[in-house]
Amino acid sequence: MLELNNIKKSYDGVPVLKDICLKVNDGEIISILGPSGCGKTTLLNLILGIVDADDGQILYHGEDLTHVPMEKRGFNIVFQDYALFPNLNVYKNITYGLKNKPNVSSKEEVEELIDLLGLREHLSKRIDQLSGGQKQRVALARTMVMKPRILLLDEPLSALDGVIKESIKERIKTIAREYNLTTIIVTHDPEEALTLSDRVLIINQGTISQYAKPEEIVHKPKNDFVKRFILNQLEIKRNNIYALFGDNTRLAVETGGVSLL
Amino acid sequence: MKVKNKELKIVFFAVMILFAIFLMAPIIMLLVKSVWKDGFSFEFYASVIGQNGFFTALKNSFQIAAASAVTATVLAFIIAYGVHYTSLPKWFKSCISFIATLPMFLPTITYGFAIIYSFGKQGLLTRLLGRQLFDIYGFAGLFVGYVIYTVPVAFLLIHNTMEFIDKKTLIVSKAMGDHTVSTFWIAVLRPLLGTLAGAFIQAFFLCFTDFGIPASVGGNYEVIATMLYNQMLGGIPDFNRGAVIAMIMLIPSVGSICILQILERFNIRYNRISQAELRKNAARDFGWGCSSVLISIFIVSIFAVIFVVPFVEEWPYKTGFSFEHFAEVFQDSELLSVYGHSIFMAACTAFLGTLIAYGAALITARSSLSNGYKKAIESIALITNAIPGMVLGVAYLFVFSGTSLQNTFLLMIICNIVHYFSTPYLMMKNSLSKMNAGWETTAMLMGDSWVKTILRVVTPNALSSLIEVFSYYFINAMVTISALIFIAGARTMVLTTMIKQLQYVNRFNEVFVLSLLILATNLIAKAVFSKLANHKLLTSKQ
Repeated sequence: MLELNNIKKSYDGVPVLKDICLKVNDGEIISILGPSGCGKTTLLNLILGIVDADDGQILYHGEDLTHVPMEKRGFNIVFQDYALFPNLNVYKNITYGLKNKPNVSSKEEVEELIDLLGLREHLSKRIDQLSGGQKQRVALARTMVMKPRILLLDEPLSALDGVIKESIKERIKTIAREYNLTTIIVTHDPEEALTLSDRVLIINQGTISQYAKPEEIVHKPKNDFVKRFILNQLEIKRNNIYALFGDNTRLAVETGGVSLL
Repeated sequence: MKVKNKELKIVFFAVMILFAIFLMAPIIMLLVKSVWKDGFSFEFYASVIGQNGFFTALKNSFQIAAASAVTATVLAFIIAYGVHYTSLPKWFKSCISFIATLPMFLPTITYGFAIIYSFGKQGLLTRLLGRQLFDIYGFAGLFVGYVIYTVPVAFLLIHNTMEFIDKKTLIVSKAMGDHTVSTFWIAVLRPLLGTLAGAFIQAFFLCFTDFGIPASVGGNYEVIATMLYNQMLGGIPDFNRGAVIAMIMLIPSVGSICILQILERFNIRYNRISQAELRKNAARDFGWGCSSVLISIFIVSIFAVIFVVPFVEEWPYKTGFSFEHFAEVFQDSELLSVYGHSIFMAACTAFLGTLIAYGAALITARSSLSNGYKKAIESIALITNAIPGMVLGVAYLFVFSGTSLQNTFLLMIICNIVHYFSTPYLMMKNSLSKMNAGWETTAMLMGDSWVKTILRVVTPNALSSLIEVFSYYFINAMVTISALIFIAGARTMVLTTMIKQLQYVNRFNEVFVLSLLILATNLIAKAVFSKLANHKLLTSKQ
């Protein structure tokens, strides 16, 4: 279990995270959701270990990681822009970490990952020959080879389009399930967050607005912010889709009593 | 579409004619001169190669250029790393970047004199330290001069690439368990390899072909550049042999440009640039901070003398403060008119050069003209990049002596435009090709003609690049000497050629005053142009 206790962080005197308390269970997929500038990326960087908290504690299975440097925490991240090494081909990117820790994954495990992520046919390609979705899967494979204790994903879907988005979503879920891997995802898209994760952490202006299961957020939004910024978007989408499919019943907006029209 | 092509074709042929007369013809003439005197013969090659000391000079040139280029690249890398990969304060970073590029604003011939007055027997640093550090005439002096001369170019190249390296690979590499050395390799050095090699070759090329530094501190250490100068303008000028030396100087230049072209393919391209948070590391910041400070002090200390000598009564004997030398220069109508000439020539070079670079870039970046046209322009840019200024100057001497163009400002201006064409053209092409490809079509659909579209849409959006190009041409025209030394006449003296003249008569106080004038003019020009360019950029973004 990952635990954050009273985490505080400010930049140049401006508080970015105020008193964040949070528990994540093993094998859970968590999404951190919020508008730009709400502090979600800072929170991710804090967990990863590239940013130090001003105050508070980070515990993993009871072990205090607050002052443990990034490379010793055993967490790993896939960046939004993948940060693949352009001078290495797909296979060499995937197996990059094995140079340092040859025994972390066996040959079979690597092969299994390659198949699971559908990368077999691309192994000898250069990075710039790949599409966005393929790059995302390579970056995911490269990280998974290291068997991270926690997998962090920074906006994993934002650079992808339609169908590929859904397929990557499924892959992330499969991986988390197969490896019982705690996964923390940063996103600004409510639909992504609510359909991908077991629990969603909604952040607004450096504080936790709501931290709950998707159903609970939809049916019992805790405050006005959740209603207006998170649910509103989903309802517009829903209505658009209903309208598109000709079902004009206009299930307008009972949830939370917010009026759309 | 037809109409658009017609206008661009006019631009194309204008550019072509210019470079045919002022680039191709002189180079062909040079080639002819090297093998022709009352009939075809290789005797000049044989006599130059057989000449006493030729191979020594060639070997010297290679040695000193290679040593200086390696050093300059390493120093430039250290400064650029300090700027991009540390959490040193912003003002500190801008300060070291400024100092690293400072030498660009001065003519190379000044570096030589600065070295003499800093490290010489009566030099400023020699006096401060109480002993002479090294013998300035020869290898050591040339080495210091070349390093200072090429650090700015190497720094700008490396600085530019570093900006486009994905900083998040640092974090990924660490998270993958890499050690510091491996991280440094995969996230910094490996993506920079192409650029580092490029910086080395560029620096090598500059050292190999520079004339100003060996002219002042070369001493008995003869290099190809001084050999060429002596052959052409020395006691017993021999134009045929001069042509041969110029041709020989051309070989490594062409070679280095070819290597640069090949290296281009090895460059790694990141399609996204992301700023990652650098980790706190006080030791790293301190280490790089100190190294950059040392390099900056080294550069500044050599130039410090330029600010000291003109302000004292009579260096090194009477060291009281005095404005006398400045007063003398400002009362000397000849020197003042030379300053006027320089400004005039630089401004004309900048204006016409920018127009030509813009026209050429429009053809390659924003036209549907066939590939043949574009390739022709590209090759011109490539050739101008490979031609050393001295070679161009010598070639002009052959072609235009006896014509009405001889010793005119027009010829000097065209010479500068041709000599420096490559970089402005590439700057312009980059900026034009980044603009939305649909503009011309859109504007034409709205009823604009091609010329109108260029004037109303493309030019306003390219303005900040145009200003940068203008500034590049201006500053280079202010400091260049290598080509002009052969074509400037008595009535068309500019500051740099004047400095060379003053050297003959040992009027070093004036040399430094003039150098300061060049520096001040360039710094002011740079400040004004950057301000204008940024201003344009901001207003166009709003």
